[in-house]
Amino acid sequence: MILAVNILMLVLVLAPVVLVVWMSFTPSASFVLPLTAFSLRWYREALSYPGFIDAFFLSAELAALASLITIALTFLAAYGLVRFRPPGSEALMSFFTSPLLVPAVVFGIAMLQFVNRLGLYNRLAGLVLAHVVLVVPFAIRSLAATLRSVPEDLEWAAMILGRSRAGMLVRVTLPLCARGLVTAFLFCFLLSFSEVTTTIFMTGPALQTLPVRIYTYMSDRIDPTVAAVSALVVFISLALVVALNLMGGLRRLGTR
Amino acid sequence: MTGSSPVTAELATLAAPRAARAGAPVRSAPALFITPLVLVMAVGFVWPLFQVLANSFHPNTPQGIDVAHWTLDNYRRLVDPLYASILWRTLRISAAVTAITALLAYPVALFLARLSPRAQSWMVLAYVSPWLVNTVVKALGWTLLLRGNGVINTVLRELDIISAPLRLLLTETGVVIALVPGHFMFVLLPLWTAISALDPALAWAAGTLGATPFGVFRRVILPLTLPALLVGLVINFIMNMTAFAIPMLLGGVRNEVASMLAYQINLVSLDWPLGGALAAALLLLTSTLVWAGQRAALMGVARRGAKP
Repeated sequence: MILAVNILMLVLVLAPVVLVVWMSFTPSASFVLPLTAFSLRWYREALSYPGFIDAFFLSAELAALASLITIALTFLAAYGLVRFRPPGSEALMSFFTSPLLVPAVVFGIAMLQFVNRLGLYNRLAGLVLAHVVLVVPFAIRSLAATLRSVPEDLEWAAMILGRSRAGMLVRVTLPLCARGLVTAFLFCFLLSFSEVTTTIFMTGPALQTLPVRIYTYMSDRIDPTVAAVSALVVFISLALVVALNLMGGLRRLGTR
Repeated sequence: MTGSSPVTAELATLAAPRAARAGAPVRSAPALFITPLVLVMAVGFVWPLFQVLANSFHPNTPQGIDVAHWTLDNYRRLVDPLYASILWRTLRISAAVTAITALLAYPVALFLARLSPRAQSWMVLAYVSPWLVNTVVKALGWTLLLRGNGVINTVLRELDIISAPLRLLLTETGVVIALVPGHFMFVLLPLWTAISALDPALAWAAGTLGATPFGVFRRVILPLTLPALLVGLVINFIMNMTAFAIPMLLGGVRNEVASMLAYQINLVSLDWPLGGALAAALLLLTSTLVWAGQRAALMGVARRGAKP
């Protein structure tokens, strides 16, 4: 019984993703199963559709910017919290992870009204700010865990031997945290790259990330072109997930 | 200082005077590290939330939000039969998804916990990775599965289980079917962690005392891991309540849920004070749930005298 439930659940979880990838290789103009032939026709079609290409580069730029800013700010904050343990550390940690408790729709509404007031509607800057807030909770947990695993003794040793705190940070702590930093960056990139709900509230037709672009396309019509784009998204996400798993990053998700 | 080796102690005494000499800079150091992130979060998170809350107490006029006047009208307008029916549908769908998830979570988590560590890590990856693919792509997959000539209907017809295609797309049932696996991970991960942390000797001891496998589950595993399940279910319910792309693309406008209403009010009607009131109401509802869930989980732990 347990095995049956597990198989059913695994099928339900994986089926939609697998099906999209499978269908994207159809040579015909509609979705017919089973596939009898294999074709890259719809990939050519998708890659020559400027709407998707522009959206892809916007998404990649947004995810890279938001993740870099998040990692920089969060690494400093995590260092401050873990190494100095100032009064109120616990409260600050809860504050940094609190965006998790705010539903994406509520945050989307708030950001819409906020960016409009600041004149940032349809601007990359507004999106970057929103995505930074959305990924900070994941980054701070992951980087705090990384910093706890780096022996403080090594930092003390470097400072006793004459390095300033800044010099020590750059020459000792950063290299020791490299793996954790890369993992956190990949994870933030992945989350930002696939964010839909908040983003959809913040952008008009002039500035659409790839998920939002696919969403608008799908509201209009469903054809193998959109399956091919979606399959490309799956490949990119999967590559990042496997990289993350190999670096041991996903295990930390479960332990929170 | 962590660690307590003689070397550590030596280093600490050596370093202490140096830290003391540095004086003020050391005391202000944590603030230097933490302030940038606090500022960004204040501007990008706290301010927008307060802004939207403030907007919800102002009247909407054709010229925009009238910030000179304060009113509770937007909240009164939320109590509308149409909105109530949308909220009722949202609650109905979310509760159905959470209930189904609760039934399926234990078999899967128990199965995972029994595998070898290596197999566990790959199985967890299989459950988690679809979550990291964006929801729109999954909605496309579900459309291909659920529609009249889609995979599910084709398979059922080939097997002669049904004669006419089932109507699954653009129904509440379709939305529920797609949301269950979509948000399953939020319950599975905490539950799996809790079950893995159980001492295997407990189940063994209960077995030697004559408990059946189901008895072991009901009397030992279930009570010890119920708080973890509860935490996961609360998150799951909130995710269901505020899901956007799946209900929109699979349920359609005929099965409008709260998040679609929020989109409608904020981006089509452009009635931001009303949209703000809706956001505040949703946030209040979800925070109450989180609080209640955490309390229930903590009480569950306290009652058995275990460490939280």
